[in-house]
Amino acid sequence: MIELHNVTKAYATHTGSNVVLDSVSVSFAPRTNVGVLGKNGAGKSTLLRVIAGTEQPDVGTVTRRGTVSWPIGFSGGFNGSLSGEENCRFVARIYGQEVDEVVGFTMDFAELGEYFYMPVKTYSSGMRARLAFGLSMAIEFDAYLVDEVTAVGDARFQQKCRQAFQERSGRSAVIIVSHQLTTIRDYCEHCAVLNRGQLHYFSSIDEARRMYEAA
Amino acid sequence: MPGAMTQLQVVYALLLRETKTRFGAHKLGYLWSVVQPLLWIGMFAGFYYAFGRMAPPGMSVVAFLATGIIPYSLFRETAGRSLSAIEANKGLLFYPQVRPLDLVAARVILEGVTQLLVLAVIMGSVALYEGSLRIESAIEVIVGLGLASALGASFGLVCCGLSVYSRSVEQLYPALLRPLFWLSAVFHPVESLPKVFRDILVLNPIIHCIELVRDGWFPGYDARHVDAWYPVQWILGLSFLGLSLERTARRRLELS
Repeated sequence: MIELHNVTKAYATHTGSNVVLDSVSVSFAPRTNVGVLGKNGAGKSTLLRVIAGTEQPDVGTVTRRGTVSWPIGFSGGFNGSLSGEENCRFVARIYGQEVDEVVGFTMDFAELGEYFYMPVKTYSSGMRARLAFGLSMAIEFDAYLVDEVTAVGDARFQQKCRQAFQERSGRSAVIIVSHQLTTIRDYCEHCAVLNRGQLHYFSSIDEARRMYEAA
Repeated sequence: MPGAMTQLQVVYALLLRETKTRFGAHKLGYLWSVVQPLLWIGMFAGFYYAFGRMAPPGMSVVAFLATGIIPYSLFRETAGRSLSAIEANKGLLFYPQVRPLDLVAARVILEGVTQLLVLAVIMGSVALYEGSLRIESAIEVIVGLGLASALGASFGLVCCGLSVYSRSVEQLYPALLRPLFWLSAVFHPVESLPKVFRDILVLNPIIHCIELVRDGWFPGYDARHVDAWYPVQWILGLSFLGLSLERTARRRLELS
């Protein structure tokens, strides 16, 4: 259960303050996969970071019951000079997990071969995303926050991710932000649309699509 | 207290990682941070012998210099590493449970352990050479070193907070620290200085840390001008300023 209450978040830009989230109140139910649709620059990633707690809202509160992942995507969170394995160890430790289990799982899932033991700065962006995905799957969260899954790996790897989420669907929720409806259709039951600082929540994806296409 | 446990986990993980990145970047990276103060002490001891200068009675030159240079290095290195702690590990703030202060804490601990290692190597060698080891008050030595470390951390935190606002802090920083070395009575017991200098120098909180270490180490050391509360006041003041800066700086960090 994740609740945003009256959350406002703005960034200072050259042209003044850019309000990304404007008094957003929303509640994400446990074990319910929700997609958040938004155009580029609508503030999807910011929303995800606020939900995760990576960033604090300017106004309002975020309540989390249960464990919530970091925003899983392709950017951030890895130290380039450390290997994939070393990065996994670090993350396993800060989440209080069994280190060797996490490393073993991630190695199998991410399929990086020898690269798993090489510095992350030598990875392609697809490889980084695979590492991030495998690592997040290695840890049991009540809610997984996913940023734009569409670009992760080839069709086979995507199939694998879908499967991993399906296995967890009875236990965990996934919140995915994307600008593509197809991704959200694949994963989610409910859908919200983020537009001009407002978040509109729909329990049917088709309703969300109509709103998104009209925006 | 699950919150405190998480924070301990985070600092521990950061500590392991810091050690690794320091080892990794240059193969001899960590060794260098141990060797560097050893070289300093060796060099100054060489000067002492060459010019026939003596350490205060009852102390060997190396031991006397080490008790000055190590607390000073502890201060300087801790400050320097705290200053760059957030910039170097910004990517980790991505994980919600990693807080800027944890990044600083891990570096402060690693630096403290390193300097303690240096102290143990030097004082151990001196003890072997002299055939005996006497420490008058280990507690006083530890308090002195602890204060030097805390002073470095709080000073580093202030500079770190300021550097978020202006890059020039990082350039000004070495210029600020260089004279401080000569104003920290690394080479003289404070008691032996003329009163005019002494009255000014005791305003420098680092001096009190060094004098505490010496007073604790050498029996009969005259440290009547030492006031342990004085550096504590600095630490409290700097920490307050540093933490307030960190609060406001955090929002700016998010932008990048």
